[in-house]
Amino acid sequence: MIELKEVRKSFGKQEVLKGISLKVEKGEVVAVVGPSGSGKTTLLRCINFLEKPTSGEVIVGDLAVAAGRAHRKEVLALRRKTSMVFQQYNLFRHKTALENVMEGLTVVRKLPKAEARERSVRLLEKVGLGAKLDAYPSRLSGGQQQRIGIARALAMEPEAILLDEPTSALDPELVGEVLAVIRNIAKEGITMIIVTHEMSFAQEVASRVVFMDQGTIVEEGPPGELFARPKEERTRLFLSRFAPEGSYSI
Amino acid sequence: MEKPELRYVFEFIPKLLSSLHTTLLIVAASMALGLAIGVLVALPRLYRVPVLQRLSQLYVSFFRGTPILILLFLIYYGLPELLKLVHIDVTRTPVLVFVILTYALHSAAYISEAVRAAVEAVDRGQTEAAYAIGMTGFQAFVRVVLPQALAVSVPVLANQVIANLKDTSLAFSLGVMEMTGKAQTLVAATRHFIEAYVSLAAIYFVISLILQKLFQIAERRLLKYEGPENAEPSLPFKERRRRRLFGSSAMRLPWKEARADEA
Ligand SMILES: Nc1ncnc2c1ncn2[C@@H]1O[C@H](COP(=O)(O)OP(=O)(O)O)[C@@H](O)[C@H]1O
Ligand SMILES: [Mg+2]
Repeated sequence: MIELKEVRKSFGKQEVLKGISLKVEKGEVVAVVGPSGSGKTTLLRCINFLEKPTSGEVIVGDLAVAAGRAHRKEVLALRRKTSMVFQQYNLFRHKTALENVMEGLTVVRKLPKAEARERSVRLLEKVGLGAKLDAYPSRLSGGQQQRIGIARALAMEPEAILLDEPTSALDPELVGEVLAVIRNIAKEGITMIIVTHEMSFAQEVASRVVFMDQGTIVEEGPPGELFARPKEERTRLFLSRFAPEGSYSI
Repeated sequence: MEKPELRYVFEFIPKLLSSLHTTLLIVAASMALGLAIGVLVALPRLYRVPVLQRLSQLYVSFFRGTPILILLFLIYYGLPELLKLVHIDVTRTPVLVFVILTYALHSAAYISEAVRAAVEAVDRGQTEAAYAIGMTGFQAFVRVVLPQALAVSVPVLANQVIANLKDTSLAFSLGVMEMTGKAQTLVAATRHFIEAYVSLAAIYFVISLILQKLFQIAERRLLKYEGPENAEPSLPFKERRRRRLFGSSAMRLPWKEARADEA
């Protein structure tokens, strides 16, 4: 479904991704964890070429795009096969909730307005925002905005959804509503790669966890194994920060 | 010169207003054309297109740095000569067309600078979200970036409209019978200078006021999507708009600072 082959990315002299190879099967939910600055965001952004990899190859479905000779048309096709949910939501701020979800359907997929509208309303109802169709993002809470962001991503019927720390800009009391929505779509068998710091959530929804550090994949495995018995010292060190002794003493 | 009499003002105003449509036509047509040219001129610099970028810079410097009266003459007398070289005959083209073209090219220089600043102020995440759903660069610009940039540019565009309105008073130097031209003929016929120019000033003033009010309404409409922001709920609307345009670094006006100190 998604495959990365030896993907490298440098910003100037700094190599941020040092040859990442990763394979994600259809219907898999892969959680990417790791310290900040380890290249998780860059990795996601290389999949839809928001960052152009310096070298390597990105394969989504039947489309393989090599970094060196990525044609504009191929990049567009790649982006139409994937959707992205941003840490800062990035909703179109001059458009209502409904228009945000419809935009890609009418402009990119060229669906008739009525059909786009119908599908968008259905998705917004599904993420619990059926009552906020005509609200502008600035009038909505972060949790509501992010749920619209997820509806917008789902609307495109992508082969995979890329989520970059979808809850880390949220106030703690709003995290739950967004995780609940992601949990639901995970159950529907949609392929997802999700960068997150919510370890218990990753444990619950992910079929596989990938631990990244300093631009490399240090280790990967089913959440039960990786969280309980990390093989690498770096993984252990990182995870220890998320399960402090304090968490038992409540 | 005759002794000033108030009744002439009331006599002149309707006569001047009979030429208002010409003045407004120049303003409206030159703004519409200027907006289109302005956006086009801004593009090479926004997308850093090698040679065009320099040309666009040159364009802006030239049209901002040359007095509009000189531009009027240059375009009215010079453009036909240039076009003659490529065998296009414009000797029958109405003067008004040259006047509108001049004001359009002139406004476009200012508009392109405003649009460029406003486009650069649009959050990068907006474009990325557009790309992520598969929009082309053109679609992202037209559907997402430009509407937001134009909405925040409304105050600058409003200034440009008012400036154009006032500049139309120079068009009579090419013989266009707009309001100032009309005033000249009234003066010639009656020798009541003061009344003619008082009437003229009153009309320009009132029209400016009306336009400003209209633009305020337009701005409120266009920016209706900017509701109370969650992160900064207490910031007043104008402050948020300022921050979007100029960033959140403090650029306090001195008298406001003084007031804040008192409080
Ligand atoms: N556009 C960019 N230009 C320069 N450096 C960047 C850019 N984006 C990311 N980086 C650098 O790449 C490294 C990895 O960043 P990122 O992928 O955002 O990590 P993570 O998401 O894991 O926190 C960081 O050191 C960051 O400073
Ligand atoms: Mg990140």
